[in-house]
Amino acid sequence: MSLRRGVMGGHHLVAAAAFLLLATPTTSAQSPTPGGMPPPPGMSMATSAAMRFPQPVRVGDLLKRDVIQPVESQNFLGTVQQIVRNPDGTLAAIINLGGFLGFGSRPVSVPLDALVLLGQVVEVDAFTPAQLRQLPTYSPGTAAPLSPGAIIKIGLAKPSH
Amino acid sequence: MNSLFRPRKRPDAAILDDHRPLLRSLERRGLIRGGLSLGALTMLTGCDVSRPKSVEDALLAISRMNDDVQAWLFDPNKLAPTYPASMVLKPPKFNAYYDVMDVKPVNGVDWRLELSGLIADKRPWTLPQINALPQRTEVIKHICVEGWDYIGEWTGVPLRTFLERVGADLHAKYVAFKTADDYPSSIDMPSALHPQTLLATQYAGDTLADPFGYPLRLRTSIKLGYKNPKWITAIEVTNTYLGGYWEKQGFPWFAGI
Repeated sequence: MSLRRGVMGGHHLVAAAAFLLLATPTTSAQSPTPGGMPPPPGMSMATSAAMRFPQPVRVGDLLKRDVIQPVESQNFLGTVQQIVRNPDGTLAAIINLGGFLGFGSRPVSVPLDALVLLGQVVEVDAFTPAQLRQLPTYSPGTAAPLSPGAIIKIGLAKPSH
Repeated sequence: MNSLFRPRKRPDAAILDDHRPLLRSLERRGLIRGGLSLGALTMLTGCDVSRPKSVEDALLAISRMNDDVQAWLFDPNKLAPTYPASMVLKPPKFNAYYDVMDVKPVNGVDWRLELSGLIADKRPWTLPQINALPQRTEVIKHICVEGWDYIGEWTGVPLRTFLERVGADLHAKYVAFKTADDYPSSIDMPSALHPQTLLATQYAGDTLADPFGYPLRLRTSIKLGYKNPKWITAIEVTNTYLGGYWEKQGFPWFAGI
């Protein structure tokens, strides 16, 4: 399974990605937040995630999985490095963002509710790639990593293609 | 280098000015578009462009012929590949013709499996009754027509066992399904009797979760993913072709792998 189709970066790519996001037709007209789309204004990420039938998944099974953009081209965004518990009790995924063949990536902390599980891959549906790149680099310290055997729950989505 | 098709002696450039309104009205692209949609494009793609009924019927006839060839090639004793339990994807991949948020969970307590058609004992079944039948577990690959796949571990009563138990006519042509999400489906009897065709109630040793078809779904290793209806509410054994949700939109009916 290879989704590393391109290296993120460059404003024209961002513009192209944003255009794709807008141009992707929604497959389900009656859904309040269709697959691969961010929660509508006023709906919290937690509410949106709870509507996505969160399923139990072993933390160890999530590590190293590809993180992709919820668009038809399934652009590669990074890989899951760790799942951590923030001091306020919320869960977050540490995602190795960007890079190429493991070089040039940097870890960022993304709320777990911003992610959906899509078979073998993880999608970020509540942040655009541009928003992800603006996140500060994660440094270990305050958040506690979960053990690989821990079970967490994560919402689902239908394929974006 | 100039085009070989360009005339050596060119007309006076003023001719363009004289006929400017006419040139504007030519709409060359419109002509190309129109020509394509009437001809080659219609024949080559499954797009929903307007096409004459005769073309539609011809394409459908070819598709049904493909179904017949696949049915003829089908070996009821050949098993699909199985995999070690360590390769099972947990949880499985969700897919439907709508997004996950539109899934309407089924209450397993009130749920009944209705039977109709060429079946001797048409009494409806409850979930505990179905769970009491002989079970079989298969670690098989789910292959979607869209191109993705994953390995899953499914447990349930083989459809053959169930059909024999209720006294279904095993020489009938079709086994058809109705589901709670309005996704009718039907398969051929030889495929229904294949040992790796299950009425699945469990995934990876746990009760099926809501998004994956609780309480009962079809899981067959010998057909594409869209031939595996979830949230089944009724089974009919029949000699009448009933098609299915995607089949009515032009997908092949047999869809064997």
